[in-house]
Amino acid sequence: MILIDSGQRDTRSFAAKILFAAQLTRVGYDAVIDEKTVPQTIDRNQEYEAAPFLADITQIDISGYVMIGAETVSDETVIGLRSYQLAPDLSVSAIGRFPDTQSQIGATTKISFALGHEANIIDLAELHGRQLLETSVNPLVSVGTNGPATTATLPELFVYLPQDWLEDLENLTSLSAMNFLPGFILNIVTSGKGKGLIQQSIYSGLSVFSLNEIPPLALAQRAQVAVFLGDGVPGERMAAFALEVLSGSGVLVDSTTNGAFVNCGAPALRGPTDLAGLPNFIQHTVGANLAEIGRQAHQSDWLERTSIQRLIQHLNLSSASRPLPKPTDTTARTIFLPTNGNGLGHAQRCSLIAEALPAAHPTLFAAFPSCIPLINSKSYPCMPLVQKSDDHDAPHANDLVNYLRLRQLCRPGDHLVFDGGYVFDSIYRTVMENALCATWIRRGLWRAGQITQTALGREKVFDQVIVPQEAFDELNTAYTHGPTVHQVGPIVQNVLPAPDDAPNLKEKLEKKFHRRFDQLVVSMLGGGVASDRSAQLHALCAILEQRPNCLHLIVVWPGSRISAGLQGWKNTQIVKTKHALQLCLAADLVISAAGYNSFHEILYHQMPAIFIPQSAPFMDDQEKRARSASERGLAATVLANEILILEREVVAFLDTEKSATIRQKLGKTVLPERGNKKAAELICAMGAK
Amino acid sequence: MRSLPRIAYFFDPGFPGGTSSAVAAELTAIAKIARIEVHAVSTRMFRDKPVSTPIQKILVKLGLDLIWDAPTITADVVLIHNPSFLKFHTELKQKIIANHLIVITHENFLGPGGNEGFDVDHCLDLVDRCSLALQKTIAPISPYNRLTVKNWLSTNDSSDHWEVLEQDWFNICDFEILPPVASPQDRRGRHSRPGPEKFPLLADMDRCFSKSAQSNIILGADLFLAEKLDRNHWNMVPFGGLEVARYFEMIDFMVYFTAPTWRESFGRVMAEAIAAGKVVISDPETASVFGGAVLGARPADVDDIIANFVRDPRHYQEHVLYAQMSLAAYSTSTFQQIFPSLIRLNHRHAA
Repeated sequence: MILIDSGQRDTRSFAAKILFAAQLTRVGYDAVIDEKTVPQTIDRNQEYEAAPFLADITQIDISGYVMIGAETVSDETVIGLRSYQLAPDLSVSAIGRFPDTQSQIGATTKISFALGHEANIIDLAELHGRQLLETSVNPLVSVGTNGPATTATLPELFVYLPQDWLEDLENLTSLSAMNFLPGFILNIVTSGKGKGLIQQSIYSGLSVFSLNEIPPLALAQRAQVAVFLGDGVPGERMAAFALEVLSGSGVLVDSTTNGAFVNCGAPALRGPTDLAGLPNFIQHTVGANLAEIGRQAHQSDWLERTSIQRLIQHLNLSSASRPLPKPTDTTARTIFLPTNGNGLGHAQRCSLIAEALPAAHPTLFAAFPSCIPLINSKSYPCMPLVQKSDDHDAPHANDLVNYLRLRQLCRPGDHLVFDGGYVFDSIYRTVMENALCATWIRRGLWRAGQITQTALGREKVFDQVIVPQEAFDELNTAYTHGPTVHQVGPIVQNVLPAPDDAPNLKEKLEKKFHRRFDQLVVSMLGGGVASDRSAQLHALCAILEQRPNCLHLIVVWPGSRISAGLQGWKNTQIVKTKHALQLCLAADLVISAAGYNSFHEILYHQMPAIFIPQSAPFMDDQEKRARSASERGLAATVLANEILILEREVVAFLDTEKSATIRQKLGKTVLPERGNKKAAELICAMGAK
Repeated sequence: MRSLPRIAYFFDPGFPGGTSSAVAAELTAIAKIARIEVHAVSTRMFRDKPVSTPIQKILVKLGLDLIWDAPTITADVVLIHNPSFLKFHTELKQKIIANHLIVITHENFLGPGGNEGFDVDHCLDLVDRCSLALQKTIAPISPYNRLTVKNWLSTNDSSDHWEVLEQDWFNICDFEILPPVASPQDRRGRHSRPGPEKFPLLADMDRCFSKSAQSNIILGADLFLAEKLDRNHWNMVPFGGLEVARYFEMIDFMVYFTAPTWRESFGRVMAEAIAAGKVVISDPETASVFGGAVLGARPADVDDIIANFVRDPRHYQEHVLYAQMSLAAYSTSTFQQIFPSLIRLNHRHAA
């Protein structure tokens, strides 16, 4: 493990350490940062970026030590270095930009006092020549593991703008026009506040990244062209980003007012310093010569001088801890990640798509604990994720752990398939940092407040979005558009019952519960996570208790909690099973919530049903979904507080022809073709990109 | 009076510790044998530091004024003490005109590993550019300090016009001499400024101040206190947290090792301990400045050396008395005797 330290222990130096650790890791070194050096306040993005590198130094074997920003070595750093008690034969280097001989001697002596021997001092001014950012703590090296930027799809253009430019509506309008520039996909990079300005404007659809949102190396993996506007090089992260774009044979356009990049020798193209002139320049000068400009820049001496390999030679580090994986080393896998919804809908949907993939397709899951039994029941390997908990120190503490787990799990080339509404930081970062192929399965019917630019803004890191349609047109709303957004039919389980299945099942139930019955009612109102349905279940138990020829099954998933008071009813049994649909198929009446899966299973399997929609504000619009069926005469909808109506409907279904009528209507209703296979095909096709 | 040489001191009076104490002692020593001017320059190194206490006191005692940033300094001899105060300075605006310009090197030019202790070339160059003198001389303060000066000069041709004084310009050590205790105990201590260069590696500190000692006191332990070092058998006191006289009452042995990459150029702190009647143990190279007065050892040997002295109090007393006698070589009277030869021009060179 290479321990990364910095001359100062402030927040800026900490950020520089994280960046350098990431740079070393990219070329195969295992780099760590002493967890004791974390500043008292760091922002959430830094927490994620630091997490993979933080370590308790007393618990690891240190094979090398590198100090960055060694031009000023604080007493705190000296004390820390002394406390490490590094072995005398350990490779110890200090990197800095020393303005004069004395500053270099000062750093050298300070470090040597703490070490007990002389350290290897590297002056970046000597190694690199003209500096991109003379005040940078990070050594600013080009890592260059990205390889030539891909041109398989449209090249991505990243434009950096200072925040104050975005306060001018004219500039926003120009950016919006650039967004329709043929031949490029536009992304904007700016400060967090600048991002807010765009998102709050009428141009909120623009793809925008804040400076600290994603590590610069990850951002550079996507960029074929980077344009910098404003005055000078905007900080270490952007300097590192620019270097990576160049080392990936991308094009760097220096549109800064002072020619900050070209004047220090960087192989950048001098571009117009205002937005008005940029589209033509990008299209006709850059776009027409993209590959050649990138090739020439990649071959420049300046870039070679800044390469991390050259720095590593001077650091006297031993060989990299691990070889870099080659694209052909491993088989690309599809990793499904269903979000932790209130039911099992996301996991169920993912498993249905997984089942539609070719048998030999390497498939695995990463899932929250509540979903794991379902996934295991279908024999898919599954890495557990950590559920959010009020017991955690921070609201995103679980997601930090999940990020580390996903980082460990995912390999370049893998295909991550996320099913859920909100793209967690862990997923967003994992996709970006590993340049994963990514698919977002995003069913619709969100409530009005849930459709936000924040939620949809992360769509940009996915290669495609698969939108499983609802059965009825009025339920389908397109939140985003474009060639990467695919609508597929409803994703629904398909059980083909044999004619004798229902009688046979009823016979088995009679044996199991030691009683005869003529009518079977199945209630599936969930485990009470989203909404407490105890009152409705008790009401149903009471209604059905009056019918001696009826068996009422309250069906929940294994492990679910159920109100103890429900145990005492003679006609009611609680069944914990993974095979609810089979029971429903044999039922004379199903009483169910109106979640996507159960709703469509009921429709597609032509079951007579009463929907009691869940109404929690964080859920999809179940009432709208339920009413779409009941208004067509294909089911009944009863709201949670309509207990008397519930009784009336149960009587209607069991004592009149309503069940039969509904079955008949469902049989005649033409529903959209299931989308399971189509979704699987889209995933397969994208996985092979 | 007319025959007394005119001596001008030129330094940054913000220097803490040994340099200021040495200059103060020297001013006392030569006040009657020379006409003195004291010139001060405020440098980047000690920009916000006040005039050090020893300098303030001696100027009052001798009735001398501190002349700040005089544009021209003229004297028979100009003495620049510890040129490292110029290491962060970019330009000296003073003009120095003298027969003999002597730079007294309180800091080693090179560390034990051969790395420069400070930007010597820059400091000497600043002095060179602002001075007109018949002779420019570097005056080392100890044999070890001399070695580093000569080694540095041997690899820096641009400075070969600097003479090196043949005799050491030693630190005057006129401390009160206290007798050794009759029955020494294993009471160990060390005192120094808290800089990291003043301390050996932690493993060596553990050997020097082991659990077997009756007591261990570390005066100037700011570094260890800052890192919350867990050593229950050490009494760690910050720099200035205890009167030095009281500290000496608490110890019979001073165990003084520094970072292996740094070395005392003289070791005034050890002379102080010898005068206070203590046995002083240090690394062999540092000890060599004082001949046999300081015992040269490895940290691993410290326990045994101290145990032997504790077992043999007479041996302890004999050693302390011998060491105290050797301090005479660093007395005021000795310095006064050699001072004329120290400042004398080397006529062959000056010609």
